[in-house]
Amino acid sequence: MRQTLLLTFMYLRAYARDRTAMFFSLVVPLMLMVIFGSLNLGAFGRVSLAIDDQARNPASEQFAATLRGISTLTIREVDQETALVQLKRTELDMLLVIPRDFAVSPSRAGQPVPTLTVYGNAARPQQVSVGQSIVNEVITRLSFAVNQAAPVVNVKQEDVAGVRLRYVDFLLPGILGVNVMQLAIFSVAFALVVDKRRGVLRRIMATPLRPWRFLVAQVLTRLVLATLQVLILIGVAVVLFGVRPVGGIPALVLVSLLGCVLFLTIGFALAGWAETENQVPAIAQLITLPQFFFSGVFFDKSAAPDVIRPITERLPLTILNDALREISVQGATLWDVRLNLLGLLIWTLVGYLLAIRFFRFDRF
Amino acid sequence: MPPIVAVRDLRKSYGKIEAVRGISFEVAEGEVFGLLGPNGAGKTTTVEILEGLRKADGGSAVVDGIDVAKEPMKAKERVGVQLQQSSFPENFTAKETVELFALCYGVTVDALALLGQVDLGERAGQRQEKLSGGQRQRLSIAAALVNRPRVLFLDEPTTGLDPQARRNLWDLVRKIREAGTTVFLTTHYMDEAEVLCDRVAVMDSGRIIAMDEPRALIGALLGRGFTKPVIQQQANLEDVFLDLTGHELRED
Repeated sequence: MRQTLLLTFMYLRAYARDRTAMFFSLVVPLMLMVIFGSLNLGAFGRVSLAIDDQARNPASEQFAATLRGISTLTIREVDQETALVQLKRTELDMLLVIPRDFAVSPSRAGQPVPTLTVYGNAARPQQVSVGQSIVNEVITRLSFAVNQAAPVVNVKQEDVAGVRLRYVDFLLPGILGVNVMQLAIFSVAFALVVDKRRGVLRRIMATPLRPWRFLVAQVLTRLVLATLQVLILIGVAVVLFGVRPVGGIPALVLVSLLGCVLFLTIGFALAGWAETENQVPAIAQLITLPQFFFSGVFFDKSAAPDVIRPITERLPLTILNDALREISVQGATLWDVRLNLLGLLIWTLVGYLLAIRFFRFDRF
Repeated sequence: MPPIVAVRDLRKSYGKIEAVRGISFEVAEGEVFGLLGPNGAGKTTTVEILEGLRKADGGSAVVDGIDVAKEPMKAKERVGVQLQQSSFPENFTAKETVELFALCYGVTVDALALLGQVDLGERAGQRQEKLSGGQRQRLSIAAALVNRPRVLFLDEPTTGLDPQARRNLWDLVRKIREAGTTVFLTTHYMDEAEVLCDRVAVMDSGRIIAMDEPRALIGALLGRGFTKPVIQQQANLEDVFLDLTGHELRED
């Protein structure tokens, strides 16, 4: 134990002297955080509207079809209960509930007037007001088409308090995930391939040091760095941008470190496979770049084309980012994100198998 | 006294290439033993099997009474190793490099004293990657001595060094031998073997083709009627070079 810890300390001290490595592992993430945090991306785009059609009659279907034809709206059909949860999470801007007695036709005297309920996310007032006016406009048009008269449908509006999600709130968990990935894969793969090629590993293997102790020291070195990196990024987000990680910083750090272990196994596999350090960037980019864009780092993961969604949803970084985002934004506990943690564990196992397949001390 | 290194019918192949084809030899305690041969003769493979870095396909290698194949870790504790074309982790100073290796053996050393022994006392705080070739070779010997080895393996220790650094390293090897450590070295420089080694084995294509004291081998050759044109020359170009540039080591 003492030997492993001292070894870790020695490697950390050497790492701290390596300016290039320090720049990439601490300064670059910080720059990304500050630059992207200052941008106000995702402030307004389309309005996402859920429709719960409880009527399922020709009138309601015509109404929904008309709404679907409006390009500003992104429509999903979800039941009221699910939609309300999504509203609270700001995964949705509005919910439209079409009642069972919905009709656009003129009502006879004494008949109750159908009431449409529109739930709007109070955290997205701009989107809600746009969506609201579109819904009203469609109803008016439909009723004129039917009876050349003002609508006889009531529109009742309700506010749902969603999480006030700014872009920087969305960004922080993504930045944490992607940086842990980069640190783990690149730092291990580069350093160990160089050490392998220059005979450093052979020289160490000529001593009675147990290989696993050397590996544990390498892993611990990166975990210390990752902790430092994650704390700095969270610190900047909190101090500079007023981000409040609802689920607590310890949970964020812990999940980040689990992700770090996962990507370290991939880093070791890559270091074992690559013959020279020139092969590392190509393969490392091949592994990290798709996740950079499809795993919900800088923008929502639903931006990925539908065809590849089943794959992108299961990428390690997607699973990690989802867990981090649930914790940071929704205040989820570790138990709430247990499925994601299980996913991380499965990927770690895959990475571990690859690592022991490719990273062989007896070949160095 | 039992031999400190005993090799019996050692064999090693890489695919179809037979690198070592059944060699046997013994090294006595306290001697400087040289394994000579051209590149690709199988010297490095032999040494790496003795160091516990490679597994032999057949035969046995015993170092200080320990069968290397059966107890590689125990054997590694008894030997010091300087590998051909190996280097140390970057961003470690000379002193930290020695300490790193001491830690690998689980021992504590006076790193400064050890560096002093190899004339690197003044370079203790310098990053190892900034040392010159000769300095790095001496650092690698210091790192090989951290565990007070019974045998020191040096694989082509002077390849790539300038004449001053070579002679300096020869002095260091003699010093280590005088301190009682057996030295096992490989080289393809015959002058080096002649001045340093008590006994040499000549290896070619995976086999040992001659083994004796250097003088005895030369004597045997002359005994077979060998002559070469004698040039009346009391000095050679290397002597001129050293006379012009001095014997002292260049520290840059």
